[in-house]
Amino acid sequence: MAVSETDSASVRVKPKERFDFFHDERVRSIFYQLLTAGTVGWLAWYLITTTAHNLEVRGMNTGFGFLTATAGFDTDFKLIEYEPGIGTYRRIFFIGVLNTLLISFFAIIASTVLGFFVGILRLSSNWLVARLALVYVEILRNTPLLMQIIFWYVAVFSILPRVKNSIDLSGGAEVVFLNNRGLYAASPVPGDLFWMTIVAFVAAVIGVFFLSRWAHKRQDLTGQVFPTFSASMGLLIVVPGIAYLATGSPLDWDIPSLQGFNFKGGVSLPPAFLALLVALTFYHAAHLAEAVRAGILSVDTGQSDAALSIGLKQNRVLALVIIPQAMRAIVPPLISNCMNVVKNSSLAVAIGYSDVVALFMQTALNQAGYAVEMVGMTMAFYMTVSLSISGLLNIYNKRVQLVER
Amino acid sequence: MVVVRTQPTSSRTAPLSETTVIGWLHKNLFSTVLNAVLTLICLYIIYVVVKGLWIWGVADAVWVAKDRRECFDISIDGACWAGVIQWIDNIFYGRYPRTELWRVNLGGLLLVLWMAPLWLPRVRAKIFIGLSTVFLYPFLAGYLFAGGDKSLFMQVMVTLAMVCLAGNTAHAIIGVSSGRGLPDTLLRWLGKDQAPEATQRNTLLVLLAAALAVGYALQTGWTEEVVPWSKWGGMFLTLVISGIGIATALPGGIILALGRRSKMPVIRVMSTAFIELFRSVPLITVLFMATTMFPLFMPEGFVLNKLVQVIIAVSLFSACYMAETVRAGLQAIPRGQYEAAHTIGLGYWGMMGLIVMPQALKHMIPNIVGSFIGLLKDTTLVSIIGLFDILGMLRSVSQDVPWRGLHKEPLLFGAVVFFVVCSVMSKYSRHLEVKLSAGAKR
Amino acid sequence: MKLTTLFASATAVAAMTLAGATAAQAASTLEIVKERGFLRCQVGPPTPGFYNLDANGDWYGSDVAICQAVAAAIFGSKDKLEIQSVSSQVRFTALANGESDLLSRTATWTLLRDTQLGLDFTAVNFYDGQGFMVPKDSGITSALDLKGATVCVLTGTTTELNLADFSRLHNLDISPVTFEDTNVRNDTYLQGGCDAMTNDKSGLASSKAAFPNPGDHLVLPETISKEPLAPAVRHGDDQWFDIVKWTVHVLVGAEELGITQANVDDMRANATNPSVRRILGVEGNLHEGLGLTKDWAYNIIKAVGNYGEVYEAYMGGGELGIGIGRAGSANALWTQGGLMYSPPFR
Repeated sequence: MAVSETDSASVRVKPKERFDFFHDERVRSIFYQLLTAGTVGWLAWYLITTTAHNLEVRGMNTGFGFLTATAGFDTDFKLIEYEPGIGTYRRIFFIGVLNTLLISFFAIIASTVLGFFVGILRLSSNWLVARLALVYVEILRNTPLLMQIIFWYVAVFSILPRVKNSIDLSGGAEVVFLNNRGLYAASPVPGDLFWMTIVAFVAAVIGVFFLSRWAHKRQDLTGQVFPTFSASMGLLIVVPGIAYLATGSPLDWDIPSLQGFNFKGGVSLPPAFLALLVALTFYHAAHLAEAVRAGILSVDTGQSDAALSIGLKQNRVLALVIIPQAMRAIVPPLISNCMNVVKNSSLAVAIGYSDVVALFMQTALNQAGYAVEMVGMTMAFYMTVSLSISGLLNIYNKRVQLVER
Repeated sequence: MVVVRTQPTSSRTAPLSETTVIGWLHKNLFSTVLNAVLTLICLYIIYVVVKGLWIWGVADAVWVAKDRRECFDISIDGACWAGVIQWIDNIFYGRYPRTELWRVNLGGLLLVLWMAPLWLPRVRAKIFIGLSTVFLYPFLAGYLFAGGDKSLFMQVMVTLAMVCLAGNTAHAIIGVSSGRGLPDTLLRWLGKDQAPEATQRNTLLVLLAAALAVGYALQTGWTEEVVPWSKWGGMFLTLVISGIGIATALPGGIILALGRRSKMPVIRVMSTAFIELFRSVPLITVLFMATTMFPLFMPEGFVLNKLVQVIIAVSLFSACYMAETVRAGLQAIPRGQYEAAHTIGLGYWGMMGLIVMPQALKHMIPNIVGSFIGLLKDTTLVSIIGLFDILGMLRSVSQDVPWRGLHKEPLLFGAVVFFVVCSVMSKYSRHLEVKLSAGAKR
Repeated sequence: MKLTTLFASATAVAAMTLAGATAAQAASTLEIVKERGFLRCQVGPPTPGFYNLDANGDWYGSDVAICQAVAAAIFGSKDKLEIQSVSSQVRFTALANGESDLLSRTATWTLLRDTQLGLDFTAVNFYDGQGFMVPKDSGITSALDLKGATVCVLTGTTTELNLADFSRLHNLDISPVTFEDTNVRNDTYLQGGCDAMTNDKSGLASSKAAFPNPGDHLVLPETISKEPLAPAVRHGDDQWFDIVKWTVHVLVGAEELGITQANVDDMRANATNPSVRRILGVEGNLHEGLGLTKDWAYNIIKAVGNYGEVYEAYMGGGELGIGIGRAGSANALWTQGGLMYSPPFR
C-alpha cells in the first residue's frame, strides 16, 4: 500500500509496538482483499445461479451439445469444407474464426503498408500532397468506422462492373477477374513432387539466415559491406526455381472461367470481403499514418545531421539511423493497430461478411439459441487473439526499451 | 582600421519564394519533376472527386419533393435531399415528441452553461466545476429529458444540481469580473471577510442551506410530461449514451486503474483481468452479450430495458479503456510526488486524492477528450442491436414508404455531421494538449 | 479507515440486490398491462408494410395496427401503446423475459418456435411465402431456371435456410450472397451483383415498387416456402393468448360482416344482424371470457378499422401502402378464395 513502507520500517527506531487490530496495515490489506474477493465471488455465484434458474424456467437448452448438431444454413464464403444439413455448428464456428483471421491478416498487411505510405506523404515537401494526406486522415479518423464500412460496401458495388464485363486484372492472361460479385483468381493445385520445391525454399531461407550472419561478421571484421539483400533475394528465387523446374513443374492452376451465370473454379473472394478489406485498410491506415508521422518526427534532427556528417548517404541514413529509432515509437501503435483490426473486423456483421460474429454470434445464435455458450465462445476467441498480440507487444517493448538509469 | 557603421543596413527583400504566388507554387508544388507529377496527380484526383460530388450532390440534387418517386421524376441521377430534410427531426431527436423538443435543446444549453466557466479565464475551482458536471448535471438533464414523477433521490439530486448550476454561473460571472471566488464575494458582501474561520464557514453553510431550501421548493413545482426512453433517438440518443458512458467511465476507470496499480495481489489480479477482458473483445460482442445475456442475469420478473443494458455495456467497456488512460496518467507522475505526499503524513487516499490525481487528471484531459470522440463514433454500433441512434435513424429513412430505398444521402449527411462534431473536438483536444504541456515545460 | 461504514454499505448493497430479486412475482399479463397503463408491443427494425417509422417519428404498418388493436381492446385507446423495435437476435428473449407483452412482427409460425422457444403463435394475420425476383431481360421465367445462379438473400433469416433447401432439393447449385441490409441488397441486385433476389413476396413487392424502373423486374411464380406470419405471446397465459388471438379474429370478422371504421358507430346503434350485435357488444356477454370491457371489439374497429382496411392502408394501394394486390391471394377473405377466416362470434 504505502510506497516507502517496506524497507524503512527496520531502520526506524521503533515506537512502542502495540498491535492495533483496526489500524494495522496488513490486517486492513487482508480485509480489503477478502472483501473484494468475497463481493466478486458472491456476484459471480449470484449471476450463475440466476442464469441457470432463468434458463431452466424458460425451458432454454444449455450445454455444448449443440456443437455437434447439424446446422441447416449455408454461408457464401468459407475456407473449409461445409455442406448445409451435414456440417455441424462446430464447423460453423471454425469457418467464422478462419474468416475473421483471414480478413484481419490481409487488412493488417494492407493497412500497415498504406499507413506507412500516407504517414510519409504527410511529411512530404509537396504542399498539396501533404494537405491531401491530411484531409484523408482527418476524414477517415473523424467518421464512424461502421458508416465507412457501409459506404464502401455501397461504393464497391457501384464501381465494379457486372460479371459479363469483368475486369481482367492479369492483363489479358485471364487468370484474375474482378466484378461486382467478387474477386476470382486461379488457385494452385500442387502436383506429386511439389514438396521438393517447398523443401528447396526452406533450404534457401536457412541459407539466407547464415549468409546474413556471415556478412555481418565480415563487416564487423573488415568493414566491407556485402550486398546481403540482393544475394538473399537471388538465393530465395533461384534455388526453389531450379527445384521446381527439375521436378517437371508439378503445379497446376485451377483457372476461373465464366460458366452459366458465374465464374467457376479457382478461388474467389466475395464483395463483402473486398468492401470490408478496403474499409478496414483505409480506416486503420489513417490511424497508423499519424503514428508513423509522430514516430518519424520523434527522431531528433541532430541524429540525421550527425549521420550525414560522418559520411553516410541519404538512404543509409534513413535505413540505419532514422527508421530504427522511429520504429521504437511506431511499433507499439502498430501492434495495437493489429489488435484493433481484429476487433473491428467484427463490424462485418453490418454488411454480412461471414466472420465469427456474423456467422456464429448472429446467424447461428438466431437459429439455435444457446446465447451464453455462443457469446462465451466468441469472446474467448477474441480474447485469445488479442492477448497473444499484446503478449508479443510486451516482449517487443522489453527488447527495444531504452535502458535508462 | 576601424569601420563603424552608424546606420543599420537596409534589410534585404524576402526571397521570391516567400512573396510571390509563383514563387510559392514553385517551392511547394513544383520543386522537382517528381513533385510536379505528384501535384498534377493530386489535382486530378481533387478535380474528379469534387466534380462528381458537386454534380450528384448539388447541381443535380433535388431539395424539395413529396416523396422519392417525385425525386426520380425531377432528376434520376441526382441526390434526393428532400427525404433527409423531412427526416431531420428524427435524425437529431429521434421519436422525441415534437412539442417537447425544447427540453432536449435546453438540456444541451444547460450543459454549455455548466461547462462554460471551465474555459473562462480567472475562474477558480475549475476541478470542482468539472466534477459537478460529471456527477450532478446528468441528474438534472436526466429529469429534463425523461420527465415524470421524481423519486426522493431524484428530488435531492435535482435540487443539488440546480443550486450547483446557479452557484457555478454566479461564481463564473464574479470570477471573470473580479477574479475572486463566489464564497469570498459572499462573505465580503456580508462584511464577514475578516471574521474568524469558523464564523465564515458557518455563514457559508447557512447560505448553502438556504439556497438548497429555495432550490427544493422550486423543483417541487417543476414537473415535466413523461417521455419514455423508447422515444429517445437520433443524435440525441448517441450523445446520451456516449455522455453517460464517458461520465461513468471516469470514476470507474480511476478505481480500476488504482486497483491495477495496487499492492494487494487479489485486487490487482482482479482489476487487471477485468480490464484486459473488456479491452480484448470488440464492442459489438459486449453489446450482443448485454442484450442476450443481461436478461438472463436478472432475477425473474425484473426487466432491464434495452437502453439501460446498452448503457451498462458501454460504461463497462469505456471504463476499461479509461482505466488504461488513467494508468498512463498516473505513470507520468514522478515517484517523488508519491514520496513527498507520504513524507507529510498523507495516507493512501489523501495522497491519491490531493496530490497525485489532480496532477494526473490534468495530463489526461486531452486523452479523455480523445476517448470521448472514440466512444461517440463507437456508439453507432448500438444501431446493430436495434436502437434508433443517429445511424439507426439514418438507415430507417430508406424504409419509410414515401422514401423507400433512399439510403446513400442520409448516410452521407450523417458522415458530415460526425465529421464536423468529431473534428471540432479533436482540434480542441490538440489545442489543449499544446496548452497544458506548455505549462508543464517551464 | 471506517470499517463499520464500509461494512454497512456492503451489506446495504447486498440487501438491495436481494430485495430486487424477491420483488415482482408474475401476475397475469392483462393485469400487468392494465396496471402499467399501456401495452408494450414488439416489432422489428423498420420494414415496409409491416412496421415503419414516418418523418414525425410515429410508427405505422399492418403489424403496428395489430398492436394498436390490442391496445384499443384493453384500454379503449390505440395510443396507450409503446412500440418496441427489437433486432431479430433478441426478439424471442425480449418476449420471454417480459420486456414485451406481445410480439407483432414478421415472425414465421413454425413448429419449433411454437414449442421450444416458450412462445405461442396466435392467429395468422398475413400469409407470406418466399419467392424470387429477376430482371425481365434475363429471360428467366421459372425459379427452376436458376441453376448455378447467384442469389441475393438477407442473412439470419429463414429465407436463407429455405434457399439452401430449395437449391438442394432441385440440385440447382445456387450460390447465396448474403446481406445484412435490404438497401444494399437491392442496389447489388439492380447493378447485376446477383442474378436473382429472394425474399418473402411481400418484401419483393415492396422493394420492386421502390426501384427506379419497377416494370423491368419480374417476381417469379414459384413460392418456395410457407410463411404464415402471426402475432405471438408468451407461453402459459391463456387469457392473454385469447385476447390477442381474438383481436386478430375481430379484424377479419368485422370485414366479413361489413363493419368498417366509418360505419361502426352506425352499426352499433342500428344493426339488426345478431352477429354484428354480438361482436359489437350490444348483445350477449362475449367480453367476459376475455376479461375486457363490453365494447372491446367496437374499440378495435373504431381505432384501426377492419382487416381489409388495414391491408389496403399498409399493404395495398393506400398512400402508405406498398402495393401488393390482395385479390386472389391467400390474404383475401375465405369468401373470395383466400384463407382469411374468422371463427364465429358467439
